[in-house]
Amino acid sequence: KGRMNLNRVEMPKQEPEDRRRNFDEVATGYTYEMAMEEASRCIQCKKRNCQQGCPVNIDIPDFIKHLQDGNIEAASRVLKAKTSLPGICGRVCPQELQCENSCTLNKKGAPVAIGRLERFIADWERSQGAVSTPEIAPSTGKCVAVVGTGPSGLTVASDLAIRGHQVTMFEALHVAGGVLMYGIPEFRLPKEIVQREVQYVASLGVDIQLDTVIGINYSLDELLNTKYHAVYLATGAGLPQFLRVPGENLNMVYSANEFLTRTNLMKAYLYPEYATPVKMGKKVAVIGGGNVAMDSARCAVRLGAQEVYVVYRRTRQEMPARLEEVENAEEEGIHFHFLCNPTGFISDGRNNVSAMELIRMKLGEPDASGRRRPVPIEGSEYTMDVDTVIVSLGTSPNPLISSTTPDLETSRWGTVVTDERGKTSKARVWAGGDIVSGGATVISAMGEGRRAASAMHEFLSQ
Amino acid sequence: MFPIVAHEELAPKVHRMSVKAPIVAEKSKPGQFVILIVDEKGERVPFTISGWDASKGTVDFVYIEVGKTTCRLGSLKPGDQLAHFVGPLGKPAEIDHYGHVLAVASGYGASAILPVLKALKEKENRITTILQAPDRERAFGCAELEEVSDRLVLAIGTPGEDMTVSATRLLRKLLANHPQNPIHRVIVMGSLCLMRVISEMTRPYAIKTMVHLTPLMVDGTGMCGACRLSVKGNNRFACVHGPEFDGHEVDGWDVLMARRCTYADESVLQQSFQCRGCSQW
Ligand SMILES: Cc1cc2nc3c(=O)[nH]c(=O)nc-3n(C[C@H](O)[C@H](O)[C@H](O)COP(=O)(O)OP(=O)(O)OC[C@H]3O[C@@H](n4cnc5c(N)ncnc54)[C@H](O)[C@@H]3O)c2cc1C
Ligand SMILES: Cc1cc2nc3c(=O)[nH]c(=O)nc-3n(C[C@H](O)[C@H](O)[C@H](O)COP(=O)(O)OP(=O)(O)OC[C@H]3O[C@@H](n4cnc5c(N)ncnc54)[C@H](O)[C@@H]3O)c2cc1C
Ligand code: SF4
Ligand code: SF4
Ligand code: FES
Ligand SMILES: [Mg+2]
Repeated sequence: KGRMNLNRVEMPKQEPEDRRRNFDEVATGYTYEMAMEEASRCIQCKKRNCQQGCPVNIDIPDFIKHLQDGNIEAASRVLKAKTSLPGICGRVCPQELQCENSCTLNKKGAPVAIGRLERFIADWERSQGAVSTPEIAPSTGKCVAVVGTGPSGLTVASDLAIRGHQVTMFEALHVAGGVLMYGIPEFRLPKEIVQREVQYVASLGVDIQLDTVIGINYSLDELLNTKYHAVYLATGAGLPQFLRVPGENLNMVYSANEFLTRTNLMKAYLYPEYATPVKMGKKVAVIGGGNVAMDSARCAVRLGAQEVYVVYRRTRQEMPARLEEVENAEEEGIHFHFLCNPTGFISDGRNNVSAMELIRMKLGEPDASGRRRPVPIEGSEYTMDVDTVIVSLGTSPNPLISSTTPDLETSRWGTVVTDERGKTSKARVWAGGDIVSGGATVISAMGEGRRAASAMHEFLSQ
Repeated sequence: MFPIVAHEELAPKVHRMSVKAPIVAEKSKPGQFVILIVDEKGERVPFTISGWDASKGTVDFVYIEVGKTTCRLGSLKPGDQLAHFVGPLGKPAEIDHYGHVLAVASGYGASAILPVLKALKEKENRITTILQAPDRERAFGCAELEEVSDRLVLAIGTPGEDMTVSATRLLRKLLANHPQNPIHRVIVMGSLCLMRVISEMTRPYAIKTMVHLTPLMVDGTGMCGACRLSVKGNNRFACVHGPEFDGHEVDGWDVLMARRCTYADESVLQQSFQCRGCSQW
C-alpha cells in the first residue's frame, strides 16, 4: 500500500452570489475524473470501519473497489443491494457522523468522500437512462398496505414487492416522497431525483394511492379487515411545534412546515406559473438550529429576503444541523444569533409581526441528551425588528392514526412504540421512520424499513 | 384524476360542482370539507361539502368566483378532470337534538350548511334559518333551505358601517323574544366577520353559537400549521380540530381575520371578501 492521499477531492458548487438567486442544486456533483481520483484514495481496509458506520451497512469498500476498476455498473449493484435510494442518501445523509466518520482516513482528518461517490454512481446510472430492475419473486398472494410514502415507506414497499407480495401505498398528499418532497428544498435534493425513485418503486408493481388519508378514508382496522394481511405505518412526524409565546399567530409568522411546503412541494418560488403564493418580507428570523432551520433560512434568501437571521438558544457546537449546510448558509450571507430565545412577537398595529422580543441565554448543566441546557439570563431582554418569522423547532407525529386506533401503543411523545424489528403492539402492524423515532434521518428511516420488511416477510411466509 | 360530473350556475359567479370521488363520498359527514387541486401547477384549495351520494360516488360543493383558482374552476365543464381531490377533512359538525336551532348563512354558506341542517332536522330540531345576501339576485339556494327549515327568513342588503346587516337586525329581534321563544343553539356559516358579530350578539344570552371557520389552509391534515387559531388560549388547527368551533371560545378574531387575508393583494376579485375591521385592507 502506498502513502495515504489526504487530498479529498472537493465537489464543485455554485458560487454563493449566484446560488442566492436560484433554486438550482448547490453542489453540482463529481465529474468522472473527480470520482476516479477520489475513489483511488480508498485504501480498502480489511476492517471495513466505514461499513459499520453506515446505518444500512452498505458494502462500501466493495463499491469503491469497483469504481477504482472503472466498473460503475458493478458499483451500482453493490449499492442497490442495501439501499434503494442512493441518489438521495448520497446527497442528504449526515455522512460526517456516519460512514465518513468511521473511515480509517478520518483519523487524519480526510475521510474518503463516500457520500459524494455514492451520489456520483446514482447520477451516472440515471444519465445512462437504464435502471436495472431486480428480479421479482413469484406472487405470494399476500397483500400489504404501506401508509406514507416517505423514505421508510418506499423502502418497505420495494423490499416486499421484490419478495413477491402485492403492495399498496397510501399517501395523504398529492405527491409521493414525504419530507423528501415537501421539506428538503430543491437546491439540496432535486425533486426529479425523488420522483425517479418513486417511479422505480412503482415499476416493481407497487400501487401508489395518492390523496388518501388513513384514519379518514380508511381506518387502520378497515385495512386489516379487508384486503391486507399486514400494514406498515410510516407516516413520519409532520406535526409542527410552536414556541407558545405571545403573538405567535400574528401574520407572517410561519411554521417551517407551512413555509417549506409552500416553497418546495407547491413550488411557490415559481409563482405565478405555479398557483401557490408565499409571502416573504425583508428581515427574516428563523427560530431553531436544525436542518429544517437551515433549509428555511436558505429558502428565505432565495425568495428575496434582504437579511436572514438564524436564532438559536444554544451555541454553534450544539446545533443539530449538518456542518456542511451551516457553512453553505453562512456563505449565502445568513447571520447566526446564538444563545438567545424569543419570548414574544410584536404587532405593527395591523396584526403583522414587526418585532421580536428575545432573552439572552447561557449554557447550564447537561440535560438528559448530554447537551448543556440553555438557561435564560434575567434582565437581558431585548428586541429585534423583523417582518417575517419562521418557527423551525421540530415536529412530532400526527395523531390522526393513533387517535383512530385505540389499541396501537404510543409513547407520551406521540411516537408509535415498536420492538427492534418494527413490530407494534397491534397484530399484523409494523411501523418505522420518524413516526417511531420522533424525527431522525432519511437513512435511519430506510434502515428501520429494511428491518421491518424482513420481519414482515417472515410473518407473511408462515 | 377526478372527473366533474355536473356543473351548474346558481347565481352570478356562484356554481355548484359535482365531482366523482368515491372514497370521499363514502365517508362524508355534515360540516366537513375537501381540498382540491385543479391541475399539476395548481394550489390546494378547500371547499365545504354541500352534498354527496355514496352510491354514485359523487361529492358536491358550491363555490364563489373570487380569485384565480375559483375563476379557473368556473371555466371547467362536465367531463373535465380535477388533478386532485382529498377528503372528507375536518371534524363533522356536532349534531344532536337541541330543540330550536337558529341557522345563519351567507355566501356559499347558503349551500354548504345544507347537510348540517338536514342532519339536525333528522334529530327533530326546529330550525329557523336566516339567509343573508346582498341582493335578491344573489340569494341562491332558497328552495333547498326552505325544505330543511321550519322557517326561512331572507335578509337582503349590504352591510352598513357597523356591520348591522339585515341578518343581525333580524337576530336582534329574535333575541329580544328569546325568553318566550327560546333559541337553544345558533349555527353560522358565512363570512368571518358575520360569524364574529353573531357570536358577540349571542354571548350575553349564553346561547351556544357554532361557527365554521375558514383560515388559510395548505395541507388540511394538521401538518403545516397555517390554519392555526387560538381557542380558549390554546392553539387549534381548523383543519383537524375544526372547522366548527364554539364562537364564544374563539379568541383573537382580529388575528384570525388578518391571517386569512395574508394573500389578499394577490387576488383579482377580492372585494367580496372584505370584512369589517380586517387590518389587511
Ligand atoms: C426540512 C427538513 C430537512 C431535513 N434534512 C435532512 C437531511 O439533510 N438529512 C437527513 O438524513 N434527514 C433530513 N431530514 C429528516 C428526514 O427527512 C426524515 O427523517 C425522513 O424523511 C423520515 O422519513 P419517513 O419515511 O419516516 O417519513 P416522512 O418523510 O415524513 O413521510 C411520511 C409520509 O406519510 C404521509 N402521511 C402522514 N400521515 C398520513 C396518513 N394518515 N395517511 C396517509 N399518508 C400519511 C405524509 O404526507 C408523508 O408523505 C429533514 C427533515 C426536514 C423536515
Ligand atoms: C374549511 C374551508 C371551507 C371553505 N369552503 C368554501 C366553500 O364551500 N365555497 C367557497 O366558495 N369557498 C370556500 N372556502 C374559501 C375558498 O377556499 C377560497 O375562496 C378559495 O381558496 C379562493 O381561491 P382563489 O384562488 O379563487 O382566490 P384567492 O385570490 O387565492 O383568494 C381569495 C381569498 O380566499 C381565501 N383563500 C385563498 N386561498 C385559500 C386557501 N388555501 N385556504 C383558505 N382560504 C383561502 C383568502 O381569504 C383569500 O384572500 C373555504 C375555505 C375553508 C378554509
Ligand atoms: S447510505 Fe449514507 S451512511 Fe450509508 S454509506 Fe451511503 S452516505 Fe454513508
Ligand atoms: S474505511 Fe475508508 S479507506 Fe477504509 S475501506 Fe472504508 S472508505 Fe476505504
Ligand atoms: S391546513 Fe395545514 S395544518 Fe391545517
Ligand atoms: Mg388562490
